Amino acid sequence: MTIFLQLVSSGVAVGMIYAAIAFGYQLTFATSKTLNFGQGEALAVGALFGLTLVPFTGYWLMIPLVLVFGFGLGAVVERLAVRPAIAIKSEYGWIMATIALGIIFRNLAENIWGRDDLPFPSPLPDVPYEIGGVRILPMEMLIVAGALLMMLAVEIFNRKSIWGKAVVATSNDIDAAGLMGINTKRVITLSYSISAMTAAFAGVLVAPVTLTGATMGSVLALKAFAVAIIGGLESGLGVIVGGLILGVAETLTGFYISTGYKDVPGLILLLVVLSIRPVGLFGKAVIKKV
Amino acid sequence: MTVTKRALVGALLCATALGVAPFRITPAFAADAIKIGLTGPYTGGSSSMGVSMRDGAKLAAAEINKNGGVLGRQIQLVERDDEAKNEVGAQVAQELINKEKVVATVGFINTGVALAAQRFYQEAEIPVFNNVATGTIITEQFKAPDYDNNYVFRNSAYDTLQAGMMVDEALREGHKKIAVLADSTNYGQLGREDIEKQLAAKKMKAVAVEKFNIKDVDMTAQLLKAKEAGAEVILAYGIGPELAQITNGMAKLGWKVPMIASWPASMQSFIDIAGTNGNGVIMPQTFIEDKTVQKRAAFLDDYYKTYGVTKIPTPVAGAQGYDSIYLIAAAIKQAGSTDGPKIREALENLNTKVEGVVTTYDHPFTGKDHNAISRNMVVFGKVQDGKIVYANPEDAKNAGTVRVKEKSSN
Repeated sequence: MTIFLQLVSSGVAVGMIYAAIAFGYQLTFATSKTLNFGQGEALAVGALFGLTLVPFTGYWLMIPLVLVFGFGLGAVVERLAVRPAIAIKSEYGWIMATIALGIIFRNLAENIWGRDDLPFPSPLPDVPYEIGGVRILPMEMLIVAGALLMMLAVEIFNRKSIWGKAVVATSNDIDAAGLMGINTKRVITLSYSISAMTAAFAGVLVAPVTLTGATMGSVLALKAFAVAIIGGLESGLGVIVGGLILGVAETLTGFYISTGYKDVPGLILLLVVLSIRPVGLFGKAVIKKV
Repeated sequence: MTVTKRALVGALLCATALGVAPFRITPAFAADAIKIGLTGPYTGGSSSMGVSMRDGAKLAAAEINKNGGVLGRQIQLVERDDEAKNEVGAQVAQELINKEKVVATVGFINTGVALAAQRFYQEAEIPVFNNVATGTIITEQFKAPDYDNNYVFRNSAYDTLQAGMMVDEALREGHKKIAVLADSTNYGQLGREDIEKQLAAKKMKAVAVEKFNIKDVDMTAQLLKAKEAGAEVILAYGIGPELAQITNGMAKLGWKVPMIASWPASMQSFIDIAGTNGNGVIMPQTFIEDKTVQKRAAFLDDYYKTYGVTKIPTPVAGAQGYDSIYLIAAAIKQAGSTDGPKIREALENLNTKVEGVVTTYDHPFTGKDHNAISRNMVVFGKVQDGKIVYANPEDAKNAGTVRVKEKSSN
């Protein structure tokens, strides 16, 4: 039983990393039906920016600065890659444009920070806590708590603030929101900003357990994409559940079946969800009127 | 002014401009530099190995050039970054052969890149010298009887040798239950195969054989399986970052058994990521940063001074890179030409002893044996507070003895 719980706890930590990144996909998809395929690069650039700041500010003070940086980065992505595509009513232009921008960011990061993977100083001690035989690293707790707090903060912002309400309104019906006097263009920019902000935050959150480098987001962003599909691209709760499912499935398969097949169940699940419930486990089935 | 006079004045002008002593210019100046390719990953995850190798090789070339070069010609290293990518490695090989017209190439950190790139050298009949990549198959890709001549040479400890050492060390320490953890790349899986074969030869079987991916951050499942199987020791085959995640995972689970890793545990990234968890991990090494032998001390001092560091990022790669240039230079000198087949012949029958920092090479290669390193030359290194030191006190005591290759050992 202890083993099972240990596997689940490690799976939860990994799953929350996926969820934190997938959350960024969900934010922009809700408002504009587009998403940033350069999310992995936003994560990497955020983490590298944080790494540069840490010696001057320390870990905790660095976080707000990274958030601001991510916020600006998202706006740039939206302006350069997404808005032109939406303006000409291109259905797929934003896909290529966000991928292209992601590649540019990666190359830029490689030129600024080099192509080496750099270690990120851990803000917490490496001594694990033991709870009923299950051992958890402080950093894992910070990842779970940080990711949940971040999602909670965004949810509160959406529900309580006037800007957040505009985001929700735009998500529900972009045309109606526009008619009600909401500047939907700015709302979409805002959602991209928040999305890149969450990615940058996820970057500095996971960097102490991974390495920091321009390619650190590539595998994570792909898995997070699977999570977003499983959970449903429109649902914040969905990405959390999806992340946990994928993370726990990986560690459990690794132990009970084979570590060689660790990634398989997640992908099978993805296929099953796509064939049975294409909108994802928590997605709203929308009837598109033509 | 006569033609001779004009030529003399011109030569003198050139000599002054370059700061070369006039009496040495006649042969050295007339001939072009000897171009040797230098390829490895200078960026990315395995760059600490690539950069150490490159910097070691550059030191050797500079020394040789200072002493008058080879055949009266200077050595010019043509550096190319293969980014540890197989396809880039193949491109670089073609560029070095066809455009740069190198007479030989040294390098390769990654077994996959070596396998993808070296066939171009084989076809062009240009010797290619693996100074870091360890895949056993590397020197066997073009071996007789399928090929008349093999242009692939190596001065790194190949995997079968390392795997054998790892298994023997585990048994020597009295461990009966062995867990094998290997990464999912060519390198890791070939190494795992070697370990399993070695165990089978001793009528043993690993209690757990687990796999992990590059960039994996969580090793809980692998380690719990090893733990549940009652493993007393972990044999790990992989590169720095993931090997470090294994030690960190063990610390997290509060389960500490000895870990014997493949040689990349001496990479800087392992030391950085594992921190204190990495202490005590041992791995086969051809070179330890130890100044007992004068030649090694000189090399280390020169390396530290030239590159402004206090430690070679990956000492083994630096030392093997350094030696590889000396071996190639000795072969070119003996061949008396830069003709590929002649250099190969000279390498296979080196008459002069080549003093390197790993060892003194005395007939390192034969027509059949293209591996310069034999098992007796490899020692176990141990991670200790951010440095790699001798694992066995006996080796440390004998640090002053240079181990030379055993006859017919490969």
